[in-house]
Amino acid sequence: MTALLEVREVTLRFGGVAALNDVSFDTNHDELFAIIGPNGAGKTSIFNCLNGVYDPQVGSIRLDGEELIGKKPTAIARLGVARTFQNLGLFMNLDVIDNLMLGRHMRMRTGFAAGAVWLGRAKREEVVHRRKVEEIIDLLELEAFRRQPVGMLPYGIQKRIELGRALAMEPRLLLLDEPVAGMNLEETEDMVRYILEARDELRLSMVLVEHDMNVVMDIADRILALDFGEVLAVGTPDEVRSDQRVIEAYLGTSAT
Amino acid sequence: MTTTLHPRPEADAAPDGPAHSLPELLVRHARSRPKAAAMRRKRYGVWEEYTFAEYLEQSARAGLALAELGVRPGDTVAVHSENRPEWVWADLGIQGIGAITVGIYPTSPAAEVEYILGHSESRVLIAEDEEQLDKALEVRDRLPNLEWIVVIDPRGVKVLDDPRIITWDQFLQAAADRDVSEWEAGLADITPDRCALIVYTSGTTGPPKGAMISHANTLAAAEIFQAAFHAGPDDEVLSYLPLCHIAERLGTVINGLWNGYVVNFGEGVETFASDLREVQPTIFLGVPRIWEKMLATVEIRMNDASRLKRANYRFWTRIGRRLAQQRMQGTLGLGGRMLAALGWVMLFRSLREKLGLARVHTAISGAAPIAPQVLEFFWALGVPVREGYGQTENTAVCTYTPVDDVKIGMVGKALPGVDVRIAEDGEILTRSAGVFMGYLKNEAATEDTIDPDGWLHTGDVGELDDDGFLKITDRKKDIIITSGGKNISPSEIENLLKVSPYVREAVVVGEKRKYLTALVGIELDTVGDWATRRNLAFTTYEDLSRKPEVRELVSEVVAGVNEQLARVEQIKDFRLIPKELDHEEGELTATQKVKRRAINEEFAALIDDMYGG
Repeated sequence: MTALLEVREVTLRFGGVAALNDVSFDTNHDELFAIIGPNGAGKTSIFNCLNGVYDPQVGSIRLDGEELIGKKPTAIARLGVARTFQNLGLFMNLDVIDNLMLGRHMRMRTGFAAGAVWLGRAKREEVVHRRKVEEIIDLLELEAFRRQPVGMLPYGIQKRIELGRALAMEPRLLLLDEPVAGMNLEETEDMVRYILEARDELRLSMVLVEHDMNVVMDIADRILALDFGEVLAVGTPDEVRSDQRVIEAYLGTSAT
Repeated sequence: MTTTLHPRPEADAAPDGPAHSLPELLVRHARSRPKAAAMRRKRYGVWEEYTFAEYLEQSARAGLALAELGVRPGDTVAVHSENRPEWVWADLGIQGIGAITVGIYPTSPAAEVEYILGHSESRVLIAEDEEQLDKALEVRDRLPNLEWIVVIDPRGVKVLDDPRIITWDQFLQAAADRDVSEWEAGLADITPDRCALIVYTSGTTGPPKGAMISHANTLAAAEIFQAAFHAGPDDEVLSYLPLCHIAERLGTVINGLWNGYVVNFGEGVETFASDLREVQPTIFLGVPRIWEKMLATVEIRMNDASRLKRANYRFWTRIGRRLAQQRMQGTLGLGGRMLAALGWVMLFRSLREKLGLARVHTAISGAAPIAPQVLEFFWALGVPVREGYGQTENTAVCTYTPVDDVKIGMVGKALPGVDVRIAEDGEILTRSAGVFMGYLKNEAATEDTIDPDGWLHTGDVGELDDDGFLKITDRKKDIIITSGGKNISPSEIENLLKVSPYVREAVVVGEKRKYLTALVGIELDTVGDWATRRNLAFTTYEDLSRKPEVRELVSEVVAGVNEQLARVEQIKDFRLIPKELDHEEGELTATQKVKRRAINEEFAALIDDMYGG
C-alpha cells in the first residue's frame, strides 16, 4: 500500500526552541492515525504544519506525492485536507445549515456576481451543495437542529457540527484536533461512533490528536507518540502501549 | 342494546362492491387516482412524494419478492423498523400474498425480538438498519424458522456477504421479472376471516401476547372510524406512533387506505415537533404523553415570554376555556364565534401553528387515560381533542366522543355497530366486528378474553351513564384495595399528578397498606429549566432528582393534587424516582406505559421507606 501522507524529517523551530525535531511518519489510505503526547509535545504543531499554518524549516510533507510545505492553508485545503479545531471553528450566531454550507464554500464555483443575481448556475449549484449538507446532517443525526443558531446548542452537539463542517469539505484527509475534549462519557461515546461511521461511509483517512487514551487505544489503527517534539514510538495501539519510552514519558518514572 | 355485527364494509362505501382486504383498497385507489399523493417522507431535508400508483407498485413488488423467497399464505413475516414507507409497503405486500405481518417495536431489545420472532415463527425479518439487524443476529441461532433477513438501510452493515442477509434493493430485485398484475390477481384468494396481522400487546405483566387481527377486522375498523372522523381524501396525517401498535396502524394504513388520504413520514422521534409543524396534519392522534408534553412546552415558552405576551396568553386562554365549555355542549352562538375569531387573530393561530395543530379538525387522545386539565387546555385553543377508547383486541373500535356532546373525563359513546355493557364485577364488555380472532397459540387466554357469545372482556373497569357515555375507572388488575378496604383507582390520581409540567411519571402505591403513597419521576426538560432559572447546578437526572429544592417543588405539586382528592385518595408521602424509566430496561412497555410490578420491585426500598421501613 502506498502512503497517503509522508512526513519526512520535519523540524520546526520558533527562535531557538525546536517544537518538532526530526519527525517522520507515514499514514496510509483509509487509516485512522492518532498522535499522542503530553502537553507541549508538539501535537498541534504537527497539525499546523500539515495544513500550512506553519512552515517547518527542514523536511518534507507529501500528500499523495505532492509537497505541502510552502503552500498556503487555502491551497492545502483545496488539495483535500480538512481539519477540526480544539476550540471550535464555528460561527456561533449562524444556524447549523449555514455553518455546514460554509464548509462547502471552497467547492462552490460560481462567482460573487452570479451568486448575487441568483440565477441559473448559482441556484443549481446551491441545490447540489445543500443536498451534500443534508447527507452530512443525516450521517451525524443533526436533523433536529438544522435552523438553530450553533451558539444555543450544547457543547457536545457543537463538536459534532464542527466535525460536520470539516466533512462538508469532502476531504481526502481529515485532521481531528481533540474531538472529545471536555465531553462527558456519553457525549464521548457518541462522538467516537460518528467518527467511525464517517470514516466507514466516506472512506476517509484521518489523523487524530487526542488526550483521552481510552478513545485513542480503542479506535486508532496506528499511533505516533511524541514527547518534546520528538518521536518516541510509532505502531499499533498494543505496540505503543508497551513501549518503554512511552510508559516513561506518560508515567514520569523510569521503568528500569 | 342491539347485537348486530357488521360482517364487512357496506357496498356503498366502496364503488366496486365491498373490498375484502386492505391490499384490494390499495388497488382501487391506484386505479381511480393513480397520480394522487399517498405518502410523503422527509429525506435529506426535503419532502418526497409517493403517488398511489407508486404505493401499489412498491407493495406488489415486496409481496412478489416474498413469494420468491418462499413465503406462502399463512406464513408470518416480521417488520422491525421505525415508521417509513417501506414498513407500509412490506405490510401491504405481505397481506396481499395471504401472509401475516408481525410488527416489532423499534425500541424492543434483543430478548423481546427473539421472543416475538420465535413465537410467531416468522420466516422473514425485515429489519430497518444496522441497529435492528444487530439485535436479530444476536439471537438468530435460536430461531430455526427465520430464513431471511432483509435490511432496508444497509449503511454500516458489515455482514452483507452472508447470503441470507439481503438489502431491500436486492430483495425487490428477486421479483424484478414478475409483473405487478400477478400480485393483484392473487388478492382474489384472500379470505376475509383469515389473519392479516398479528399485534403483540406489550402487557404490563408477562410475555407479550400475539393478537390476531383478520382482514375483516381491519375493514370493519376502517369503516367505523371513517364515519366518526369525517375523514376524506384531502386529509393529512403524520405517521409517528409505532406502526406495530394498533392505533398508528389504523391512522397510517387502515384508515389511510379506506379514505385515501396523505400519510406523512417525518425524520424521526427527535424531530417530531418540527415534523408536525411542517405537516400541519388535519387529523391527529396523540397519546396522553404527547398532549402533556405539548402543554409543558407552551408553559415553558410562556415563562420566557415578555410580560405583554404572557398577559395576552393568559387573557385569551381564559376566554378560550369559556368558549370551550359552550363548544362541548354545541351551544356556541354568534357572539362566541366572533370572540373565537378575534382570539384566533390574537393568539390561537400563532400558538397552534407553532404546535403543528393549525389545520387539525379531528384530534384524538387515546391508548391511555388523560387528565381533564390537559384536554381543557387544547379545547381552549380551539383544538377539540376528543377521547376515544379501544384496544388491540377490538382493533381499537369501541367508544369515541361525539363532536358536540362532550363529557370531559369520559371516553365517549359506543361507535356505530359496537355494543358495550358492564359486567357484574364492573368489567367493560364489548362486541363488534372489530373483535379479534384470538391470541396466537394461546387458547386459554383467548377463552378468557372472548366469551361464547362473542363479548370481549376488556380487562378495564368502568361505568356507563344514562346517556351511554363510558367512564373508565382503571385496569381491573391495577385497582388498589387499601388495608382499610377502600377501592382506589390509581391512574386517576396519577394523571392529576402528571398534569404538572414537572411530573413525567407517577406510580401510586397502597395495595394492602394503610394509606396511599407515590413514586414520582420528574420531567428532565422542565425541572432542568426550572433549576437553571434558580442557578441550581446539576449534572444528571439522578442528581437533579436528589436535590432538596426539587423535592420541595414536587411536594407542592402533590399538595395541590391532594386538595382535589377525597381523604382516602390523598398521597401521604412520596419519593422521587432517581432514574429515567426506560423500555429497554423493562420499566416501561413499548408504548411508554409504566410496568407497575417492575417499578414496585425495583424501587421496593423507596416504598418500604415510606411505610416506616
